[in-house]
Formats: sequence, C-alpha cells, structure tokens
Amino acid sequence: MKSVITTVVGAADSASRFPSASDMESVQGSIQRAAARLEAAEKLASNYDGIAQRAVDAVYAQYPNGATGRQPRKCATEGKEKCKRDFVHYLRLINYCLVTGGTGPLDELAINGQKEVYKALSIDAGTYVAGFSNMRNDGCSPRDMSPQALTAYNTLLDYVINSLG
Amino acid sequence: MLDAFSRKAISADSSGAFIGGGELASLKSFIADGNKRLDAVNAISGNAACIVSDAVAGICCENTGLTAPNGGVYTNRKMAACLRDGEIVLRYVSYALLAGDASVLQDRCLNGLRETYAALGVPTGSASRAVAIMKAAAGALITNTNSQPKKAAVTQGDCSSLSGEAGSYFDMVISAIS
Repeated sequence: MKSVITTVVGAADSASRFPSASDMESVQGSIQRAAARLEAAEKLASNYDGIAQRAVDAVYAQYPNGATGRQPRKCATEGKEKCKRDFVHYLRLINYCLVTGGTGPLDELAINGQKEVYKALSIDAGTYVAGFSNMRNDGCSPRDMSPQALTAYNTLLDYVINSLG
Repeated sequence: MLDAFSRKAISADSSGAFIGGGELASLKSFIADGNKRLDAVNAISGNAACIVSDAVAGICCENTGLTAPNGGVYTNRKMAACLRDGEIVLRYVSYALLAGDASVLQDRCLNGLRETYAALGVPTGSASRAVAIMKAAAGALITNTNSQPKKAAVTQGDCSSLSGEAGSYFDMVISAIS
C-alpha cells in the first residue's frame, strides 16, 4: 500500500541498494509531518458520525431531489441512511489515508472503479461532491483540530472531490 | 508491501473500523523514536559489507569443511554467491526495519527461499548460522555496543527495542530457511 516509506523502500529495492541518505531524509520528512496527520485521524475517528450527519442534512436541504434532479427521493429516510453510510465509508478511508500518509487506501478501496459503479447504479456523483464540499467547509481550526491537521484532512477531502468530478 | 502505518489500515479495514486512540498509540511511539530508527537502519547499511563478510568468514572458520572440496562454499563462485545472498538478506532486513513491518522481507525475500536453497543444495544449517552472526553484529551496531573500531560517535540512547525488532527480522529469516 502506497506511503512514503513503501515508496522509498520500493525504489531502493528496484536498484538493489541499501536505504541511502536521501531515503532517510524522505522518511524523516514524512515522520515529522506524521504527528499532525495522526491528530487529524484521531479527531476524525471520534467525530465522524456528526460530520457525516451534517453533510447528509446539508445535501438534502440543498438538493431535495438529487443534484441533477434525476433521482426523486421518495424514500427519503432510507436514502438518507444510505447517503450517510457512504459518507462514513469515505471518512473511514480518509482516516486510513491520514494514518498511512498516502492516498493508497482511498485509491485501492474506493476510487478505483468508483465512477463505473455510480454510473451503473444511476447514482449522481454530484450529490457526493455537494456533501464533501460541505465537509470541506465544515472543518474549523482550532475548534476541531490544529491548523496543520486540518490541512491534511482537507487535502484528502479535496482529493475525493476531484476524483468524483 | 506495507509499513507500520499501512499495516494498521489493513487490519482496521478487515473489521470496517476507524483507527482511533489505542491503535494510534503505537504509531505515535514509532514517530517519537523515528530518529532512532533511522540511525539503526543507517548502522546496518553503513556497515553492510563488514557485517556480511564477517558472517560468511565466521561460518567458514567454524566449519572448515565448507571450504574443502565439495563443501558449501568451495570454489570462488559459490563463495561469491554466499556473500551476495548474505547481502540480500541484510538489505531486506534493513528495509523491514525502516518500514517497521516484515511484509517486504516476507514477500520479496523469504517467500520460496527454502525451496530455492533446497534445489541448489545450500547447507541450511550454515546459512542459518551466518544469519545468526549477522543478527548479533547488527544488534551490537544498533545499540552501539560493538567492540571496535567502528563505534559511532552518537548520543547514547536506549535502542534496545529497535535492536530487538531487528533481531526478530533475522529470526524470521532463520526460521524461513531452516
């Protein structure tokens, strides 16, 4: 799974050399920034439910019929639950990415094949974008986490938004 | 290939859980001791040639039959292959120590090694002994308790847990080939 350390080790291995000074510097740089990432992961793990709920409520307030109006939400309760379940799923993978320090978990467990699945199920990706944009604006420093941690978290939300666009 | 961080993600994903406080504690200590870990990897990679040649010379001294005709390292070609393999094993151990996870060692080095050695007729007892000597040498270099003359001029710190971790990777190699 892609992270700074596995990338460094992979590169060293394909050249069959021991970890070099520059490899150490890369790992050291990643370790220095890791404290903020882990803080964001910790805060996200304890607050994900509220974050997802606020995003779902915002999406349904903004698009009662889905972003493009293609999906009339007759069964609003069930739709909302599924919408929240999906947001929690993405937040969990963002939590993994914050821990890993790379986008590997999101890439491997969500983004690969995501567009095809949503197309086949006639789910409008724009609705998700609306929800993630809401989360993007929802996070606040220092109320929720430190500025550096919030930056790491927002970067991953942006990554998800861009993957859906 | 995994590292200490992605290992947590994989195990949390199998139960669909978020990675929270308790799980993060071990990663925080990984970060806190990050510099020690890099020094430990540096101690191995900087002394790699010395560690490997000492280990191979050591098994030849302990078992003179190895260099005799039909011995395990008789002919320079076999001796060179032995030195090369020692370096490969040590290199993967250094990767595992850097990553804080044994997956790179297991997947890329040890997987199928026993069968390969059996097919090539490598004496596994001697090979294991060479790995054990490398384990002792690496442990001493990591804790900076090696006799001389290559003692590093570093601040003394307690690297016994890293030395133990490196030792556990060498033990994996030994149990994989013997």
